[in-house]
Amino acid sequence: MTELDKRPGRSTTPAWLVVLDRELRDIWVSGRGLPLMLAYTLMLSFTSYLVATNQAMNFLEVRESVSLTLKVAVAVSVLLVVLASADAISGERERETLESLLLSPVGRSALVVGKGAAALSLWLAAMALSCPYLWFLGRGVAVVGKAVVGGLVVGALLALFLAGLGMLVSIFSVSNRVSVSVSLFLLVALYAPAQLATVGLQPSVGDVLQRIDPFTSGLSYLDKVIIDGHSPGQDLGLMISPVIAAVVFSALALVASSRIALSPWERS
Amino acid sequence: MASDVALQTQGLRKSYGDVVAVESLSLQVDSGSVVGFLGPNGAGKTTVIRMLSTVLAPDAGTFSVAGVPHTRPLEIRRRLGVLPESAGYPTAQTGEEWLTFHARLFGRTAADAHATARRLLDEVGLGGRGRARIAAYSRGMRQRLGIARALVNDPQVVFLDEPTLGLDPAGQLQVLDLVSRIAREHGVTVVLSTHLLAEVEQVCDRVLILNRGRVVAEGTVAEVAQRAAAPRSARVQVPREHLERALTALRRRGVHAVSTLDGARGELELTLSGEAEPTEAAAEALGGLLASGVPVVSFTLESGRLSDAFLAVTRGLDEEPR
Repeated sequence: MTELDKRPGRSTTPAWLVVLDRELRDIWVSGRGLPLMLAYTLMLSFTSYLVATNQAMNFLEVRESVSLTLKVAVAVSVLLVVLASADAISGERERETLESLLLSPVGRSALVVGKGAAALSLWLAAMALSCPYLWFLGRGVAVVGKAVVGGLVVGALLALFLAGLGMLVSIFSVSNRVSVSVSLFLLVALYAPAQLATVGLQPSVGDVLQRIDPFTSGLSYLDKVIIDGHSPGQDLGLMISPVIAAVVFSALALVASSRIALSPWERS
Repeated sequence: MASDVALQTQGLRKSYGDVVAVESLSLQVDSGSVVGFLGPNGAGKTTVIRMLSTVLAPDAGTFSVAGVPHTRPLEIRRRLGVLPESAGYPTAQTGEEWLTFHARLFGRTAADAHATARRLLDEVGLGGRGRARIAAYSRGMRQRLGIARALVNDPQVVFLDEPTLGLDPAGQLQVLDLVSRIAREHGVTVVLSTHLLAEVEQVCDRVLILNRGRVVAEGTVAEVAQRAAAPRSARVQVPREHLERALTALRRRGVHAVSTLDGARGELELTLSGEAEPTEAAAEALGGLLASGVPVVSFTLESGRLSDAFLAVTRGLDEEPR
């Protein structure tokens, strides 16, 4: 601790919390958090309506209805995380506000952690909003609790993965548009082979491809737990790629934080 | 601990691909001074400021800020305030929120950060607009807000990179007044990068002219102007009764740009422009007066202005082959 740190008025609050506090205000008070939640709620309402009508006509079982809605909720909520995290650094760069941040005596990792945590708040809020829909669709069957817990676990892992991915791309992107586009492209590049694998490939190859994609794998796990009624520990193999993706991409974003500079190709 | 030397660089170098932005820069700036950091566009001023503020890594060389070596960037940033050249502002935030956030990044408590933000807003003349969104600020207000941000950590050294860029004359004057006040009241070392040479002459103690990444002139404003720029005019005083004779003698010697400053005191001003070197023209004029038998009471060469020095040192180097 230096002499400057010992002066009166010095705070012991970690810098990442200061960044998180600011980012949360930016997202939820003056930013796009509320409009995104409104759009999310409309989308979920529409999905739930379709699912409920199918359920009423016996096209879908209750468990299938809950699982389908939950998977949509998880998928869309973690995509919101990509939108926020991909904007984190490249957005500051684009708005020319990055230099002011880099001039503060805060480690670059604190910026990544604070901004990443703020991006995750979108996922958490979206998941909270989806609970009433799940309860409505799953009433009468003891599946809602399982669905919410499963959705939170899988969603948390996927959200961490996508926060790390978005942040990583953002660190090396000139503009927000590039960052969001590259992040979404990478997601599709992972997701598409897993979906194509179900067509015309040997089941074992298809299964491997599906397990490699954290998205497909995580959502399959939810199906197993909710529709097939498996115990949470029964299909943990499906959780390997979401866990690895969450850990690896979060760590990569933290490591890459030391490369945050005014220009993506510049050293600071 | 305060250091007598605010800034020191040794062999600082930075290139962007094949383009050398800063080449072997060695300089020293004493604490408490206001230094004008001048140079044409592309001279490397912003690159130097970014390297010294640790947001850009130099390719080679060492530096220290307020006695802290470049190997401790966080420590340097604690002692440094910077108004970047292309500073952006989060337009959805209010000025007070933005300053409070930055004060907290420098380790202040929430209460202290709020108090600091309000004090600085008052200081830069934005006290009444602190709770307005930055989107509603004019460019001049944003520049003053940026200067306030540069002061949130009570810095020892402040870099202001083009603080008057894009401002109208009234805005420029406000910002320059603010710079003078900051230097005086906060007792900090201010490095002012600007193109407004006349204002630099008023505000700055010392001047440092950079061209193509090298320091080409350094010293007080008067020293640099004297060293780098030839005199532009001369003042001559002759006895009042010899005034007409003096004018005739000067015209005969080809010095036509003569004006009478004070006829009663026999004072004339000669503009030393034309084909001949200014010093040669001055010698020619003086010789003409003496040859015509005009007694010369005094003959003073007026030193060149900073703008002349600036043009002399930057134009000269531009013409050199690289």
